[in-house]
Amino acid sequence: MSLQSAHALPRGARWWLPLLVLVVLLLVWEVAVRRSAAQGLVPLPSGVLASAVKLTANGVIIDAMSGSLARVLIGFAFGALVGIPLGLLIGILPVMDRALRPVLDALRSIAPIAWIPMAILWLGVRGDAALFVVAYGAVFPFIVNTSQAARLIDRRLLAAARALGAGPWILLRSVMLPGSMPLIFTGARIALAFAWASIVAAELAIGIKIQGQGRSVAGIGQLMVETLYVQRDVDALVFYMLTIGLVSLLIDAGLRWLQQRLLPWSQH
Amino acid sequence: MNTLVDIKGVGKTYVSARDGQRVQALDGIDFALRRGEFLTVVGPSGCGKSTLLSLIAGFHAPTVGSITFDGKAIAGPGPERGVMFQDYALFPWRTVAGNVEFGPFARGVSASDRRRKAQTLIDVVGLGGFETRYPHELSGGMRQRCALARMLANDPTMWLMDEPLAAVDLQTRIILQDELLRLWGDAEDGQERPTVMFVTHGIDEAVLLADRVLVLARRPGRIKAVVDVNLPRPRDKARNSAEMARLTEHIWSLIRDEAAQAITEESH
Repeated sequence: MSLQSAHALPRGARWWLPLLVLVVLLLVWEVAVRRSAAQGLVPLPSGVLASAVKLTANGVIIDAMSGSLARVLIGFAFGALVGIPLGLLIGILPVMDRALRPVLDALRSIAPIAWIPMAILWLGVRGDAALFVVAYGAVFPFIVNTSQAARLIDRRLLAAARALGAGPWILLRSVMLPGSMPLIFTGARIALAFAWASIVAAELAIGIKIQGQGRSVAGIGQLMVETLYVQRDVDALVFYMLTIGLVSLLIDAGLRWLQQRLLPWSQH
Repeated sequence: MNTLVDIKGVGKTYVSARDGQRVQALDGIDFALRRGEFLTVVGPSGCGKSTLLSLIAGFHAPTVGSITFDGKAIAGPGPERGVMFQDYALFPWRTVAGNVEFGPFARGVSASDRRRKAQTLIDVVGLGGFETRYPHELSGGMRQRCALARMLANDPTMWLMDEPLAAVDLQTRIILQDELLRLWGDAEDGQERPTVMFVTHGIDEAVLLADRVLVLARRPGRIKAVVDVNLPRPRDKARNSAEMARLTEHIWSLIRDEAAQAITEESH
């Protein structure tokens, strides 16, 4: 399909055609908003661009993003450190699966952002609450995918390893773990997507809570709350939204790149 | 003592994963494998030849009876009994060198020693230059050579081979048969050869390689006959001999009826 349509187009058209559509759309948008009474409520493409330049130059977006990203990475690392060993344990030992599955399924069904009020109650608004929510959301994809990978591992590979003299520790470290890595990586991508979605939601909620209480630990969510209630700057808000999407794309692309580098055998 | 593996009154019953039925795979097997002999095992589908091999490998325990190796009861897999699987069972996340090194690695051999050992074997099986390739990058014949080198890296006194050449094309199979015999010590006289148990569907292959052919009957698997092969070694000139044709025909006449029966039963 894609091959065919690519051939049907003149050379180069694949690039400029969608670009042209985008530019036309933005121009129509810009003109329509300027001629209507919706200014101030609906963003202007030119205004978003101006915000992007300004907020990047003065470092506001960089500070907020690095604050949020740091929390995402810590929560993600926690998810991996807890989720991978727990997943292996559940995947290998049916008794652990039987014992823990109902509890884990129950906890997993509660959306991470539903924990925000509790997290704020326990941990306050200084950023730890957001971190808790992120770690909570990240741990389950790791558990689910790692346990599934351990269950699905090719039994013949385990038999081959045992015949070659592998004991339990070597089986775990050098067969179960590497054999599970492709699915664990898929879990990592889901976990990071979850984590990034939860951090924005958590910071938004915390941002509302601390409104008017002075400073909080800065993150993109808090920044958006402030932009909404204090500056009322829709152009900046849209710029933040676009940046959140861009960071998601970059994170996923980074993980896929990492998978290709670390697990070159798994792409087949 | 001339006996390496002593099989006494062995029966194996297992519960089928498909329909939960109890299947008697082996019944009343009494057999002694001689030290240094090349034994091939043939029989119709469902005769339990792979089951017998996996009992000696130590992957499963017999339901009744006993198996000793070198005078000691088999309690599990061990590096002195190397196993080669029909479908390679190479570790996809390890390169050729990494696969070949696995046995020495699992037994705690130092990195430099196992590297040297692996390189020697990789050259012996003709995979020089492919050390850093992953299994998915290799042809069927090359994977099988890699699996052979991996088995040999532990210097096993017994080779347990489960239809190792079934998945390669005819020309590759002929070449690998010759190489296998050469590695075993077909041309040498009075040497301490490894003891081989080689399960195959190919009756001509069984005759070509073996000192003795163990013929099994099916449902349950019982010993139908033990056929001595007195063709001169090395066998490279025996391939089209009249004696080989006669033995092949004789063994085929022993299992033909049951093999035909197996086909109709399996279609149900």
